[in-house]
Amino acid sequence: MEIAVMIKQVPATDSVKIDPETGTMIRDGLEMEINPLDLHSLEAAVTLRDRAGRGRVTVFTMGPPSALRAVRSALAFGCDRGFLVTDRAFGGSDTLATARTLAAALRKEGPFDMILCGERATDGETGQVGPALGHLLGASVLTYVNDILELGEGYVVVRRAIEGGEQVVRAKLPAQLGVVKELNRPRLTTLRRRQAARETPIPSLTAEDLGLPKERCGLKGSPTQVVSISYPEVTRSCEMIQVGTDVDRAVSVLAEALLKEVAPR
Amino acid sequence: MSVTREYGAVTREILDELLSALGKNRVLSDHDGMEPYSWDETGKNFAVLPEVVVKPGNTEDVRAVMRIAQKHRIPVTASAARSGVAGGAIPLRRGIVLTTEKMNRILEVDPVNRTATVEPGVITNDLCKVAAEKGYLYAGSPMSTFTSTVGGNVATNAGGAKGIRYGSTRAHVLGLEVVLPGGDVLSLGGKIRKGTWGYDLKDLVVGSEGTLGIVTKIVVNLEPMPGRTADLLVPFRTIGEAVAATSKILALGVSLLSCEYLDQPSVLLTSRYVKYVYPFQDEAEAFLLIQVEGKDEETLERDCDKVGNLCYDEGAIEVFVADNRSDSADIWSVRQNYAEALRVKDPYFVSGDVLLPLSRVPDMVRSIEETAKKYELECVVCGHIGEGNMHPDIFKPDQMELREWESYSEAFFADLIRHAVDMGGIGSGEHGVGFVKKPFLTETKGEVEIGLMRRIKQAFDPDWILNPGKIVDS
Repeated sequence: MEIAVMIKQVPATDSVKIDPETGTMIRDGLEMEINPLDLHSLEAAVTLRDRAGRGRVTVFTMGPPSALRAVRSALAFGCDRGFLVTDRAFGGSDTLATARTLAAALRKEGPFDMILCGERATDGETGQVGPALGHLLGASVLTYVNDILELGEGYVVVRRAIEGGEQVVRAKLPAQLGVVKELNRPRLTTLRRRQAARETPIPSLTAEDLGLPKERCGLKGSPTQVVSISYPEVTRSCEMIQVGTDVDRAVSVLAEALLKEVAPR
Repeated sequence: MSVTREYGAVTREILDELLSALGKNRVLSDHDGMEPYSWDETGKNFAVLPEVVVKPGNTEDVRAVMRIAQKHRIPVTASAARSGVAGGAIPLRRGIVLTTEKMNRILEVDPVNRTATVEPGVITNDLCKVAAEKGYLYAGSPMSTFTSTVGGNVATNAGGAKGIRYGSTRAHVLGLEVVLPGGDVLSLGGKIRKGTWGYDLKDLVVGSEGTLGIVTKIVVNLEPMPGRTADLLVPFRTIGEAVAATSKILALGVSLLSCEYLDQPSVLLTSRYVKYVYPFQDEAEAFLLIQVEGKDEETLERDCDKVGNLCYDEGAIEVFVADNRSDSADIWSVRQNYAEALRVKDPYFVSGDVLLPLSRVPDMVRSIEETAKKYELECVVCGHIGEGNMHPDIFKPDQMELREWESYSEAFFADLIRHAVDMGGIGSGEHGVGFVKKPFLTETKGEVEIGLMRRIKQAFDPDWILNPGKIVDS
């Protein structure tokens, strides 16, 4: 069983700031960490391998050279090998160009039976790279996976969260899974494993290594154009309604006031 | 010698005076409205219903209340989040509870002087958040940061997990506005960081638990944000190993923001409550939770290695590293929710707060174990071990009546505090004296020091109307 885990380094903050001029995220000076949902992918991958008693977990990240730290942390998690997909030519990639680049990396180092991704990253919040990657590799694409029920010869059975309920799906391998946090509780890494991970070589993969022409990656290979970006305006107003102590009356007055605020269906 | 003082009752006329000074929305006198103000986290069994609760909105309101109280000799007990565990907010002599909950504005963050000015009812974590948004750390926050108020922290000189690096609340209070009985307003200290300008009354008011004046404004120090941090969670097979490792960790010279101790029963209890399991919690007798700081990634990694390798050498079962927000939040959730978890198990648990010289912590840990055995009590222990501040917490045996429990638990803590004092320690590191530890303070301080404290109290509050029955008696 060959399992690939895709991880991303994201700012360790909830308040991402956008440069109004360029429309891109301001990353300078921000502390980075592994995207929280990716920790659940790592946990799932390592658990699947250990339960099967065979197989290999390979972690990939695409980013600047500093993203090496994320791969190292993933190795401390128990992954067998890691790759840093990095090249100046990859700068400015949109979700399609990112998926195309990662697909090239997985083709080069694969094949893989399972490709695990966090459902989305906390910075971009698009949730597009995982499914696009699965599609490009011809894998079954399974989103919002909250449980992996069975992994058999050539198939996987997962449970997915869907609107209003859950769905159990049996899909052919290879499969790309977008996982949500309900899947598991990621383990803590140990100092010994982290120390060992520092000694593990982490190869870099460049555009040339992947045989990607410049116009197919980075800004040039990205059809998405950010035209403008703005913060939504949040306004709140408070209206005090005096109704005394009659609860029934208070409920009907409140209901009436709320109905006035709601557009008619 | 103790004098029993006579206080006035809150009559209809006095109520009217308060109503006309503050308005009807700011005065409560019905039983149900006042009930929550009759007790704090010390336990509902200690509840005393006040005669009236007032909710001043600013300094002028507080002055008006204090003038009325002084004129009629009505006791005034300041109150806010009521998260204290020494009974400081319980109105022992009834009278007025003055809650600062409506004085909850963060008035200013001053980047030039690196200060924030707040009203006493601000929830501590709100101050932390606002400071962090501007790139600063408010370092005086206690473990109860999400519930307690800055005013309450000032009253008890609260400490927290970062005390090892930054000290307790007092270390961060630069200025105070204080209303005295009778309504005079003192402005103590300010946006200044030192001073040799007469007796330091500001430092006297910090930790005075509402017995010297009502704090209406607080200027706090803001620290630059620390560098990168990582948390180490270290299970040890024995308590002895964990305690012995601590002193060696502290001697490493590594920059630590926290060094916390949790024994196995406290982890098992809290882990059920927060639904997060510590690795090895069924095997480890004790855990250390250590936050390491480094100015950059390399320093942080090097220092985590130093601390972690030492722990391995000292017999740690494993050393776990949390360097992302999810893992850090998870492992800290056990420590942060400790008090709540205990309260859920037993609403009548009693919390201890002994402070020791670091060299005597191992003796104290043994003493806690022996004393619990002697009294046949279930006892869990956590604490800011890096500062020598241990919290032994005991649960009421099922069959014991509440009245008996009060005296039984008091006897348990009397023993422990005597041991602590014998070893050069004291009976409270951060919770305060309130009324629950008052007898031990009187017993262990000696007549000369207690006499001085009484005269200080008398000088601030000649009629002893402020929080009577706390710290010292008249």
